[in-house]
Amino acid sequence: MSKGQFLGEFEHTVLLALIRLGEGAYGAAIRAEIEVRTDRSTAIGAVHATLERLERKGLVASWLGAPTAERGGKAKRHFRVEPAGRDALKLARRTLERLHEGLSFDETFA
Amino acid sequence: MKPPFFARALLATATTRSAYDCVSGDLHEEYIQRVAARGIGEADRWYWSQALGSVAPLLIAPDATASTGSRLKSMLVASVVLVSMLVAGALANGLLDMAFRGTFAPLWIHFTASWLIVGIAGFVLASLCRDRSARQAFVGASCFVGVIALPSLTGFSSPMLPLAWLLLVGVIPALTAGASVGHALRRS
Repeated sequence: MSKGQFLGEFEHTVLLALIRLGEGAYGAAIRAEIEVRTDRSTAIGAVHATLERLERKGLVASWLGAPTAERGGKAKRHFRVEPAGRDALKLARRTLERLHEGLSFDETFA
Repeated sequence: MKPPFFARALLATATTRSAYDCVSGDLHEEYIQRVAARGIGEADRWYWSQALGSVAPLLIAPDATASTGSRLKSMLVASVVLVSMLVAGALANGLLDMAFRGTFAPLWIHFTASWLIVGIAGFVLASLCRDRSARQAFVGASCFVGVIALPSLTGFSSPMLPLAWLLLVGVIPALTAGASVGHALRRS
């Protein structure tokens, strides 16, 4: 696994939101999903910058849709998670599970 | 129904054309829904908060689409604009003092002239440098000049130092305003 396939916290969040929404999700829907699921206010620019970075790493792919009136005549960029993205998520999950293994938060932070 | 002009212009300063279309399209979609549900005032505030929160992540993200040649060209243009801005500022302030026949022109006139020139530089930069790497180069060089070089070069005495900082802090909105207008005109 190359270093580029380890996920930062927000990359992890964005990838999970994308998986939840399914193929064809786009920036506004991903931002809304993150806000609803994490109760964390998120700027659309942060979501797009992260998606761009994930695409450069080969973890997601994107394509442009047609411009629509409700978007002020602007096209929508759709995203989907690539197999490498799924692998990166599995690795992140395994890593976290190993780190959590045997820890009891009630005792550790008592 | 259109979102606030200057908020859109601010977004335009931080993005490439294609990224701007995606980001502003996403925001436009939600803005219209918010206007219908909560009124234009709340929708405008939301749009501004999104635009302000988006500038830093979008500006920091490297522009993967720019070729090395176009990056170098843009950096050169950004450097020329920056140096021209400094020279024009020095000349304008010297001429202002001369216009006051031997006495110094009031500070507010110097400040206004300096910010105006910075705004023009931002406008020129927005018109000439179309990729993000150029804007990053310009912002980085401006910060270096502003924070490190200018206070020592101008030799402000300590009572004048707050004013020097006021001048430098004013450079940021002046540069952003000029660049925003340039981008908005180019994309309208």
